[in-house]
Amino acid sequence: MTSCSGCISTLFSLDIFPQFFEKTKIAYFPFIAEEEKLENCDIALIEGCISQESQIRLIQKIRKIAKKVYSLGSCAAFGGIINLSKKKRGDPISNYIEVDGIIPGCPPPSNLFGNFLMAILENRMFKLSNKNQCYSCPLRESIDYEFKTKITKLVPNNKEINSSQNQKCFLSQGVLCLGPLTREGCENKCIIKGMPCEGCLGSPSKSLFSNICNFLSQLNLSNELKTYEGIFYRYSKPTIKR
Amino acid sequence: MIKLQKIVEPCKRIEGNGNIKILLRGEHIDHVEFEIPEIRGFENILVNKKTQDIPRIVSRICGLCHASQAIACNKTIENIYGISPPTQSIILRRILLIGELIKSHAMHYFFQSFPDLLKIINFQKISNPYELMQFDPHLTSSTFDLIKLGSEIDKIFGGRYVHLINIIPGGVIYNPSQININLARKLLQKGSSNAKYLIENFIKLFSTKTPPSSFELPKINYLGLSNQGSYDRYSGNIVIKNYKNQLNFYEKDYQSYFDKEVGVFGVNFAKNDDMGLITGPIARENINKISATERNISYFRMMSEDWRKSILYQNFLELIEIDYEIHNCLKLLNENSLDEHYNLPELREIQKSDGIGILEAPRGLLMHHYKVNQNEIMIQAKLFIATEINIPLMNFMTSNYAHNLHKNEAVDKVKKKIVQMIRAFDPCISCASH
Repeated sequence: MTSCSGCISTLFSLDIFPQFFEKTKIAYFPFIAEEEKLENCDIALIEGCISQESQIRLIQKIRKIAKKVYSLGSCAAFGGIINLSKKKRGDPISNYIEVDGIIPGCPPPSNLFGNFLMAILENRMFKLSNKNQCYSCPLRESIDYEFKTKITKLVPNNKEINSSQNQKCFLSQGVLCLGPLTREGCENKCIIKGMPCEGCLGSPSKSLFSNICNFLSQLNLSNELKTYEGIFYRYSKPTIKR
Repeated sequence: MIKLQKIVEPCKRIEGNGNIKILLRGEHIDHVEFEIPEIRGFENILVNKKTQDIPRIVSRICGLCHASQAIACNKTIENIYGISPPTQSIILRRILLIGELIKSHAMHYFFQSFPDLLKIINFQKISNPYELMQFDPHLTSSTFDLIKLGSEIDKIFGGRYVHLINIIPGGVIYNPSQININLARKLLQKGSSNAKYLIENFIKLFSTKTPPSSFELPKINYLGLSNQGSYDRYSGNIVIKNYKNQLNFYEKDYQSYFDKEVGVFGVNFAKNDDMGLITGPIARENINKISATERNISYFRMMSEDWRKSILYQNFLELIEIDYEIHNCLKLLNENSLDEHYNLPELREIQKSDGIGILEAPRGLLMHHYKVNQNEIMIQAKLFIATEINIPLMNFMTSNYAHNLHKNEAVDKVKKKIVQMIRAFDPCISCASH
């Protein structure tokens, strides 16, 4: 579907990829194979969002022939970054067909993705965590639960990065981190590398909207960030009009 | 006036969703166009975004060329703020570009081009990836190892396989452990023997044969970067070179030579000849002579003049670039400044409202040009993408090829064959559909 091909690129990078490739039979994978017919299959992984009519017909067909259908990546699962555009919209797969699960992330975290593929190969159930990033965050001890610090920045400035020996919770440094709103499962990679969470793994609960309202009611957000577009719905199609 | 009839066929085994559009005038093929069904609108998405926020979005243009997109973006922002990253960050950016290139070229060569080469040059048919794996298990494992090598380099130095975390305006946040750096060295050393195997396998299978004349490139302009005559994908001047002339200019002067309209597909060149233009490995070789390096010289001697003129030569050059960049990366890992602590420069005040950033992505020249306001907010973004630059030549060559094929073959067969030529160009639809 409509994507950057980053999910496919991640698939090829996984430790398990050669093994996965050998143990499965690919029925349809336009990136590497010329098969033109969609045939009955056990599993369909769909990457990318739906932004064209023809894609709706294609995924409906896939739903009919595949025993299980999974949305791969945040574009397929939530609509993706294309929704930052004022002119275009990308729908998640689940707006048109029933899906059996999602492997979220932009890109899907390698461990999460690898474990999902292992579960498929071993015919096991695969469950995503329903906890947020803060639950496993290495900076959780410095979380200010009263959110007293005014949030003025999207990312730390380079002066802060240069002196980040004793890294503290981004929110208590005035940097907007979407960890509280975001499902864990990426081993907090961005946070460990010194950047706040952007929310690409989606919400741990069904209602991202109510979580955002709750978060915003507690947060002391600067006026500039209050009017800045594309913070909370960076990787998903907004459920309300901006 | 006869109305043109359109036949549209999705291209398989390319990066992203692209179609071949064959336009028929009556019974005859009028011309062929490569069609990208949808532009995602990143030039529009970036407007009203803060300068520090832009690199995180820009990376999402392409899951294969993500490092190139993010680094070109950071160079553009640094140009606006008038800052330069420390030496260490430049080395790290070069390393990240190398990881991306190794993976991108290895994937394209093995899954997309190699089955075509077997068919076109050796008349061997490979129908699916499993037959491909069985054809030469050593080639398969070597390619998988190279894909893994490129991925691991980007993960070690950039934080993850795709859409790297550490690349920011001002430099690269650097914190790999010594164990991981040693791991990268070991993987690169193994990668060197894998690249050698792939190159020698190419020479063994194809060098003694002659590529079909239909794949021969016309007289052409090569577009790329050159750092005082040397191969350098991170910095240099822009060069447009053909068989008789060579233009060298700074990126700030690009509008005298080419430009584009925001949100509209394609790059317009002001050159006053009727020759086509190509960017990517073939242009890099013709501008900077990777063939002249000591390590590669013997390999190049094995390739005939017919090969050098063919678009299929791009596949050989991809393997050479993998090998070249592996050795380049090993050298970069030995740089003393990698172990030193450098502070990244701060983005204090914007120095100018326009900024340009340029580099060589795996598929060729990539340039970003941004305009920002005093509040550090983007007001205009122009993205110059290699595949967009190559598409006019691709359309010209596929049209000629289709005309020739259609003399003896039905349109259904023609469309299957011209896809092979499109794949030889290695179009990146994700980048082109930005």
